[in-house]
Amino acid sequence: MKMTPLAILVGSLVLLMTIVFVVVIMPWFTTRDEAPSDIFRARTAAEEAGRATYIANGCVYCHSQSIRTIDWGIGAERIAQAGDYIADRPILLGSQRTGPDLSQEGGEHPDDWHMAHFVNPRYARPLSIMPAFAFLGKDDINTLTAYVQSLGLKDADNRLKRQTFWKEESILAYEAGPVENVDWLHHQVPEGWRNIPNPYPTSEAGLARGHKIYQDFCLGCHGPIGDGMGPAQPYIYPPPLNFTTLKGRGVSGGILYYQIMNGITGTAMPYFKKDLESEKIWEVGNYVAVYFINETDADAEPKGIDAAYEP
Amino acid sequence: MPSQASSPTYATAKGFCITSAFWMMVATFMGLLGATELIAPDLLENVGWLVFGRVRPIHINLVLFGFVTPGLLGAAFYYLPRLLRTDLYSEKLGVITVLIWNLSLVSTVVSLSAGYSQGREYAEMIWPVDMLVVVMFLLVLYNLIMTVRQRREPVLYVSVWYACAAIVLTSATYCLGNVIWRPNTGALVGIPDAILLWFYGHNIFGLLLTPLALGVTYYVIPKACKAPIYSHTLSLIGFWSLLVVYTHIGTHHLLQAPVPTWLKVISIVDSVGMVIPVMVVLINIWYTAKGRLGEIHADVGAKFVFTGTIMYFFVSIQGSMMALPQVQRVTHFNNWVVGHAHVGVLGFSGMIALGGLYYVLPKLAGKPLFSKFLADFQYWMVLIGVSGFTIVLTIAGLIQGNAWLNGETVYRVLPEVHLYYVLRASLGLMIFTSALLGFYNIIRTLYFNTGEFSS
Repeated sequence: MKMTPLAILVGSLVLLMTIVFVVVIMPWFTTRDEAPSDIFRARTAAEEAGRATYIANGCVYCHSQSIRTIDWGIGAERIAQAGDYIADRPILLGSQRTGPDLSQEGGEHPDDWHMAHFVNPRYARPLSIMPAFAFLGKDDINTLTAYVQSLGLKDADNRLKRQTFWKEESILAYEAGPVENVDWLHHQVPEGWRNIPNPYPTSEAGLARGHKIYQDFCLGCHGPIGDGMGPAQPYIYPPPLNFTTLKGRGVSGGILYYQIMNGITGTAMPYFKKDLESEKIWEVGNYVAVYFINETDADAEPKGIDAAYEP
Repeated sequence: MPSQASSPTYATAKGFCITSAFWMMVATFMGLLGATELIAPDLLENVGWLVFGRVRPIHINLVLFGFVTPGLLGAAFYYLPRLLRTDLYSEKLGVITVLIWNLSLVSTVVSLSAGYSQGREYAEMIWPVDMLVVVMFLLVLYNLIMTVRQRREPVLYVSVWYACAAIVLTSATYCLGNVIWRPNTGALVGIPDAILLWFYGHNIFGLLLTPLALGVTYYVIPKACKAPIYSHTLSLIGFWSLLVVYTHIGTHHLLQAPVPTWLKVISIVDSVGMVIPVMVVLINIWYTAKGRLGEIHADVGAKFVFTGTIMYFFVSIQGSMMALPQVQRVTHFNNWVVGHAHVGVLGFSGMIALGGLYYVLPKLAGKPLFSKFLADFQYWMVLIGVSGFTIVLTIAGLIQGNAWLNGETVYRVLPEVHLYYVLRASLGLMIFTSALLGFYNIIRTLYFNTGEFSS
């Protein structure tokens, strides 16, 4: 084959056009009129403004918006569908998960948690490596929060409605005073759970592990001494719980476990069941009970048969 | 047997060499900065224009368009006139191109750090910057075609094919991939946008960096070995199969997203098929160099280029493997891919860009390299750095990917990869330091060269 300038230029351009037709234009014909998915809705002006901030600051480089069949994390309840993205210009699927996927982040947390987290992510999540975004200013953080709260669209709206409802309830309880607040908190736990003591004995090793979990997950809000004065406190309302208010008010290992596992929707207290396995939840609960409440029911009856590892 | 009427000034080639050496410093610094922010997220707390999400696209675009592409073009603007036995059509136009090129890089840094981004990976630059990029590619293309037209050598050598194809095809895919007919967003909507984006993003490597790097390889290796190319047939097959196969595979970035299955199948099959264009070229180059490795070892430029070909082998075989859905279950979305990208862009095309520079610089300057020792030192720093990146990021990626498959949250895995982020940043410091040494060496070679400094 003789390689003339014309052969190279025209040949490569013709090849390119053919291939563009096959791998770009043909799929465009089949995917451009995708029907809206069951959760699709249009975004509001504030959400669009927040999306622009999301793009300008390169959030897409660390957060995907693409839930796969093999995922377990946030949003794993719903696998991504083409119809979820039909208003996304550009689409923000992302290519890295330095941070979690955000496809279904909307309504996972109330707005005040997001404010603390955007001002400095380590206020809410001590191990986070996300940059602080206080430099954006309050207005941009608010629109950015509006966008993040819209992720998941109609599903996010449902979750956010739940957050808003329980936010009001939790504020009423908090403002009624510590006795009523603690009582309200206990009653968010199903009765069976309330009556379960921590079935495992307190041990030095268990407390040390609980201490580490506390530092990695809880310290930002509840503070190093459990008084609810962590760095996130100024941004959060109702404020993080001061654990000493639980003393002598009927707290049990079961209540602590359930609240850590399931969170308290409406407040900034997230659920930790995706982050922490059972043993870790019991141990951080007992750490709080021993050091901050000074009242633990660990190893109390009824506890059933002793676990095999106990000495 | 050059037969130029006047002795050429090589102003354009020199301009691209300096551009590449300068922006390599900035680009690797941005990479180092981003890597450091991942281990010390409050280091630059609330310095908005240096927040990680703005530093990362600056790093990537500067590496692609600031360091590697100009480096490869620096060599091309030397070898094209020689292979065509003529002068460059217009050195003046070439120098203007270099100036516009640098202007576009400055605009890239300024606009991205100020938060003007279109949010599409490899296509972040806003429309006015896109226009500068298109103009600079078209100017290179014009100069190139006119030089080909006035050639006195009837046969076009392989390097010329690759250079022409790279520039003409990238001019086209850049416009298409950046959706330049929509200046406000530079994007399509929904899934078609993802398909177009990865078609384009993948072809920045497939139709720009790879052909330009192979053009330099086809020039430097036979010259350094003083041997003809092993096979003209393999050259032909390698060239055309690259254009056909590489362009089909962008969708392998979207195997886990809701895109049409037939398109995924094409991308997987052709990703495995990449073994043909890659091995055909490598067999051709390696057989050319067979028994002559001593000559390659003796020339630091050729040494860089030859190492680049080995990296090309690794990155391509790895890439074919990563397109398999079962492998991607582990490797997708994590640092494995970042490691892969560094072998490709720094190990393969970056090494060859540096090799091209060091090979042509003595010819441009008319004097030997200012310091062969510094160039050799940079070679080892880059080689150790990029091999280290690969090992460290692959380990981090395997930890992340397997932990996620096992149901651990992203947050839980952060402390597990912290150590590897620290190692990555230390290796980044090596690469950045090597860029500083390289810039010094290149400037001294071109402008303040008092002769052989060390042997």
